[in-house]
Amino acid sequence: MRIVIAEDAAVIRAGLAEILADRGHEVAAAVGDAEALKAAVAEHRPDVAIVDVRMPPDHTDEGLRAAIAIRRDHPGTGILVFSQYVETRYAADLLRMCSGGVGYLLKDRVANVGEFIDAITRVAAGGTAFDPEVVSGMLNATRHASVLAALTGRERDVLALMAEGRSNSAIADQLVVSERAVEKHISNIFSKLGLPPSDSDHRRVLAVLAYLGS
Amino acid sequence: MITANDFISDNLTMTGPDQGSSSPRRRILRAPFTRRTWDELAYSAASLLLALGALIFIVPTLVNGLLWALSAPGVRKLGAASRFLVRELLDEDVPAPPQLRSIVSYKVRTQDAARLAGSVAAAGGKIRVWETKPGVTVRKLPLDRITELAAEAGITIDEVQPQSAALNWLAGRILDPTTWRTRAYFVLKTPIAGLSLALAGGLWLGGLYLLTFPAWWELGRGGPAGVNLTGAFLLVPIGAAMLLAAPWLMRGTTEADRWLVRTLLGPSSPAERIRALEESRARAVDDSAARLRGIERDLHDGTQAQLVALAMKLGLAREKLHGTGPVDLVRITQLVDDAHRRAIETIAEVRTLARGIHPSVLDNGLADALTTLAARSAVPVELVTDIPERPSAAIETIAYFSASELLANVAKHSGARHATLEAVHVPGLLRIRLTDDGRGGAYPVPDGGLRGLAERVRTVDGHVTIDSPAGGPTAVTVELPSHA
Repeated sequence: MRIVIAEDAAVIRAGLAEILADRGHEVAAAVGDAEALKAAVAEHRPDVAIVDVRMPPDHTDEGLRAAIAIRRDHPGTGILVFSQYVETRYAADLLRMCSGGVGYLLKDRVANVGEFIDAITRVAAGGTAFDPEVVSGMLNATRHASVLAALTGRERDVLALMAEGRSNSAIADQLVVSERAVEKHISNIFSKLGLPPSDSDHRRVLAVLAYLGS
Repeated sequence: MITANDFISDNLTMTGPDQGSSSPRRRILRAPFTRRTWDELAYSAASLLLALGALIFIVPTLVNGLLWALSAPGVRKLGAASRFLVRELLDEDVPAPPQLRSIVSYKVRTQDAARLAGSVAAAGGKIRVWETKPGVTVRKLPLDRITELAAEAGITIDEVQPQSAALNWLAGRILDPTTWRTRAYFVLKTPIAGLSLALAGGLWLGGLYLLTFPAWWELGRGGPAGVNLTGAFLLVPIGAAMLLAAPWLMRGTTEADRWLVRTLLGPSSPAERIRALEESRARAVDDSAARLRGIERDLHDGTQAQLVALAMKLGLAREKLHGTGPVDLVRITQLVDDAHRRAIETIAEVRTLARGIHPSVLDNGLADALTTLAARSAVPVELVTDIPERPSAAIETIAYFSASELLANVAKHSGARHATLEAVHVPGLLRIRLTDDGRGGAYPVPDGGLRGLAERVRTVDGHVTIDSPAGGPTAVTVELPSHA
């Protein structure tokens, strides 16, 4: 994969580049602010841009705004937002803008190299990768609490894993149930939330998250 | 032998008009012999001398503005001396007024001078509209407040610059209300004190003379013309009455003086004081919010980033160990080495950060903390401390950070070869003073260390004085109240 990194902390930027290079990916550019990120994406046309939310000059949400701009100008680019904080609003913003090829991870996740690389691969392939903490933050912050209360405990577990971007078989492995059971739970969830049924993995994730984040 | 002290009971240091529970007659009879009377007499005499001296100093300096400015600290010292006399002899503790400080004003160039003047005046600022070109000079408002007001009113500001430091200094000294009130005090006080002392002295001496008149009559054999022996004895009760009246007359005039001291030498009206307190409270709140933001930023950009990077290295190393291919020990060793180095760097960073939040060296007092600080300084520092009593913890912390900031400045900018750090604590005031033999020319720039220092010191009503002529030497003095 061809990747552009935007991260203002030099140590993390170097660490990310090292991990990605180690796994044989091409780090086309590693920059420290949002403007440089937009320029680098326009120049290198990466598969994925890894974007830190807080960057100079204001250290607020420059990265996120740049990510949304990139998505508008270069729709094929996967966006993996990378933050030290759980900001469910940012995640919801991203979801409203993008239909797939998007992710939001806490920086801690990168310590588990395998999962991190999986997440990037999913995003590059047009899928989703949401941090479990971001997902649970969105589930907690949702205004649809009464609807969530209607879900059984197991259904909520499935919903959380689904929201992270896991496939049915991954959810089945994780919960030690059959894939058939997972499908049944999912169809229950969809009907309880009043969402139209959908087959594609990331589509249904987006539907759920957009609903929760709205 | 009966002394004055034997006559008085336990209410030795009463200051109010009530002298205790004894009957009015006894109080009148005892008055001439109470400690209080003697203190008041001593006060009248001492304060008259002081007032005369003060007038001799003040009157010639009223000639022009420059002399007003130059005499301001001296006038204030005379006011402090008066408060000292009142405290020691009249047992009345008049709090000191705020310290002398430069008045910071800003020169604002704008086409909309009149409208800006309106909004600034409404916000409590003082305005001078320029006559030759469009613009105003604003004082009593901080810069950000001025720009905020302009933005609210939709006024375009072409240029803002602070008034020159020399003008600020002059304005502060010329306009200082405390100095003017002190001058007024001495002008009013001198005639009152003179009259009071003359009257009281007259009553005392005259009373003594009349009380003992028969003796004088006897000595003089016939005495002053027209007074016979009976007449001489008749004068005795008059003398006694005068002696008894003298203390009350003096009490009356010292009461008047007390009132003058409270009104003119104490802090100004409560309303003004309240406004100053509101300002300093707002600054303190802003300051602590900014400090918390700074700490969060340091944690986010520094410590947390370091730890994430450390976790990445270890994560990669673990992948290599658990991987399917041959174990690349050289690469793994390199990763672990990197992680190890990063961990050590992080520890150092956390230590620095913790010291920035609360320097633990302060636990043993400011003197110890400053010793450590001076020892760490890149420029050799001679340390002089005289801190017999510890100031409050908040003041110690601000003093420590001030010293730390000043020493850092010396190392970074001054080119000095030697510096002296003094920390002196007298009752009510902690003074930190750093002098260096560097190139001078230090001044507070926006967002600079000195400006931040001054802001922080202001949150506790403290004061920073910078004396740094081009070419040096530089002396920066930070004055802090003992208790925040």
